[in-house]
Amino acid sequence: MSFKDVLMPFTAWKNLFIEPVTIKKPDQIQGASRYRGFHKNEVDVCIGCGTCEEICQNAAIDMMPVEGIETKDGDSGLRPMIDYGRCCWCALCVDICTTNSLTLSNSFKWNSTDPDDFRFIPGVDEKYWNNDKLGYVKADGYDLNPVERVEMGELHPEERDRSFVEMVTGYSREQAQKEADRCVECGICTATCPAHMGIPAYIKAVREDDMEEGLRILYETNPLPEICGRICTHKCETVCAINHKGDPLSIRWLKRYIADQVPSDKYKEILGTDKIEGNGKKVAIIGAGPAGLSAAHYLALMGYSVKIYETLKGPGGMVRYGIPEYRMPYDQIDKDIDYILSLGVEVQYNTKVGEDIQLEELGKDYDAVFSATGLHLGRSTGIEGSDHDKVYQSIELLRKVTLEEEIDVAEKIVVIGGGNVAMDITRTLARLQNKKYGKVNVLTTCLESEEAMPADEEEVIEAREEKAVIDPGWGPQKIEIEDGKIKGLHVNKCLAIFDEEGRFNPKFDNDNKKFFEADMIVESIGQGMDISYTEKIKDQLEFGARGRIIVDKKSFQSKLPWLFVGGDIIEGPDVIHGIANGHKAAVGIDTYLKDK
Amino acid sequence: MKELIERLGTKFPVNETVFQRDNLTFITTDKIHAIELITHLRDYEGFSHLVIITAVDWIEEGLFQLTYLLNNPKLKVDMGVRVMIDRKEATMTSSHHLWAAVATYQRELYEMFGIFFPGSPRIKEPFILEGWDGPPPYRRDFDTKKYAEDTYFPRPGRETHDPAEHMKEKMYPEGS
Repeated sequence: MSFKDVLMPFTAWKNLFIEPVTIKKPDQIQGASRYRGFHKNEVDVCIGCGTCEEICQNAAIDMMPVEGIETKDGDSGLRPMIDYGRCCWCALCVDICTTNSLTLSNSFKWNSTDPDDFRFIPGVDEKYWNNDKLGYVKADGYDLNPVERVEMGELHPEERDRSFVEMVTGYSREQAQKEADRCVECGICTATCPAHMGIPAYIKAVREDDMEEGLRILYETNPLPEICGRICTHKCETVCAINHKGDPLSIRWLKRYIADQVPSDKYKEILGTDKIEGNGKKVAIIGAGPAGLSAAHYLALMGYSVKIYETLKGPGGMVRYGIPEYRMPYDQIDKDIDYILSLGVEVQYNTKVGEDIQLEELGKDYDAVFSATGLHLGRSTGIEGSDHDKVYQSIELLRKVTLEEEIDVAEKIVVIGGGNVAMDITRTLARLQNKKYGKVNVLTTCLESEEAMPADEEEVIEAREEKAVIDPGWGPQKIEIEDGKIKGLHVNKCLAIFDEEGRFNPKFDNDNKKFFEADMIVESIGQGMDISYTEKIKDQLEFGARGRIIVDKKSFQSKLPWLFVGGDIIEGPDVIHGIANGHKAAVGIDTYLKDK
Repeated sequence: MKELIERLGTKFPVNETVFQRDNLTFITTDKIHAIELITHLRDYEGFSHLVIITAVDWIEEGLFQLTYLLNNPKLKVDMGVRVMIDRKEATMTSSHHLWAAVATYQRELYEMFGIFFPGSPRIKEPFILEGWDGPPPYRRDFDTKKYAEDTYFPRPGRETHDPAEHMKEKMYPEGS
């Protein structure tokens, strides 16, 4: 042993006088800038889709209702609660978060002797790290879940602008499965869909390539899937969780994909509707549109003998007589409807209730009546010159096209209106002009500015691709007529459509005018209903705003117990509300007749 | 580095080369020649330091990829030697005689991926998973969530809500 070794233990004493390296109470130490610490959640951005709970490999996340956060369209009202007894800070929940609201702070220190303190709802419960700037966030430019939609094939404008062939080509199996794979199965869409369709379940069926299961799920809530798969207003897609950081799921096209895959002769076998036992009761339905057909379908399944009275010569209502064939091919309408009729539903065409047969008679002859007569009357602007015989209603013209009746298509046409029906007539007339004159000269104008147009954006884009001119933001003032012929439409710049009280009361800039030359004008500013068939029983019904019949919200039963009313004359107007109404009315009728 | 790879190529099978950065190169070699090649790199090419041994589960291809990351302290360059081995017969020649740390890496690989290194010291002793009775957890067919649910009990009082069901209850309780 050397001398140094002997002294060594004593030299250590000198450290007593040196400032210690150890920090006494290390509260101030922060984690690294991308450290994965306690969760933060922007609760106003979060929609409670529960994808974080789904991906968590340690089952550390529960979805909990939070006071003050409302359950509404697009937001479940739930927020994630984390159990830090299980969390391993892997941050998969952050990476998959559909709204990017969930992140991790770089704080990691927190003491408590109560284990339940380590279960809390980030962003709701007050924590010292809630305002931390640093921590782990999802890196830009990568996503666990693809945010871009699988493109849908379409005919090029040159291929479609003079034909009524369906322009959307539909997904292939590979495309459909790839698109279905983007769904996180949160089910937020289901609440918003008027028919509350089992959307995540049928998307799952697409993913698993089980079309029979897919079809069964569709028919639980919607007996017109070929129709809805093409022209539904797809409110579900607006609230889709994936819509927050990318394109929403193509829910509508996936529905169409399922229906397209199953041949109609397989339907009865798959849906188990080969034999239905009758219950001996009879229901009359007025109108063979989506609402009437939907009610007929569900009533037929319950064993009712159903007869539909239809004014026109074919079934489908506005779907057939309002929507152009390039969007909604007739053979696909027939596929849906033929199946419903094959369940024993009878239709009497060319029969107008109120004229050919009275509503009260139906009330006597049948156990119940469901009326869904729709909005088939065009509305006029009522401006000077609008009574000219070359001023048409869009709805009449569209009906004529379906009925293959001759339309005297002019060389220069102006359409008034900015909704989807206005786009339908614009694009229909463009095709007819192209066929007749080899060129398009149709201009569409409306009160609303480009951004506020009620039509779907793609409809406007496609109309322009087909060489129609869309010039929004103008108010029609007067139709110029010279020697009995239409010369055109005078418009003034529209400054505002509604007044301060929110009433329709457009204001114009009278110094900013335009004149649109035309020899034919089409008005497409909305549709009205004709319920004159209720005239004789009016006293027994109740009417609400704009003459609508008041019905029970759940059963669609009117004040007259045997009369149920639904479809566009009650809610909407759109196909999916009609289908939902028809289904609810069928259940309502069943309940009513069971109790009777 | 290119010269080195060429030199190696004359002695050993070098199947694939990735020049990741100036100071990092990956080569892929055969299972039978791998340890011999690593020994050569250590003894004749100055790669005296073992940085790490790690694995990747290529479940779709039925392979495990082993990567031996070596460092040449003089040249300040790294070389990763990759070896693909069969996933079903997950066995690799041990290299614990080259560096003392190898045995520990191999113990970890056995525990996490189930890759066996015959003759490696204490190979079957638990590394960090004392009392583990499940399959090797880094294998991609290991269902972490199922294991967690089966093995650990939920904290008493925990409950959760399905978003779609909750919305139905709140927004349309009468059903569709």
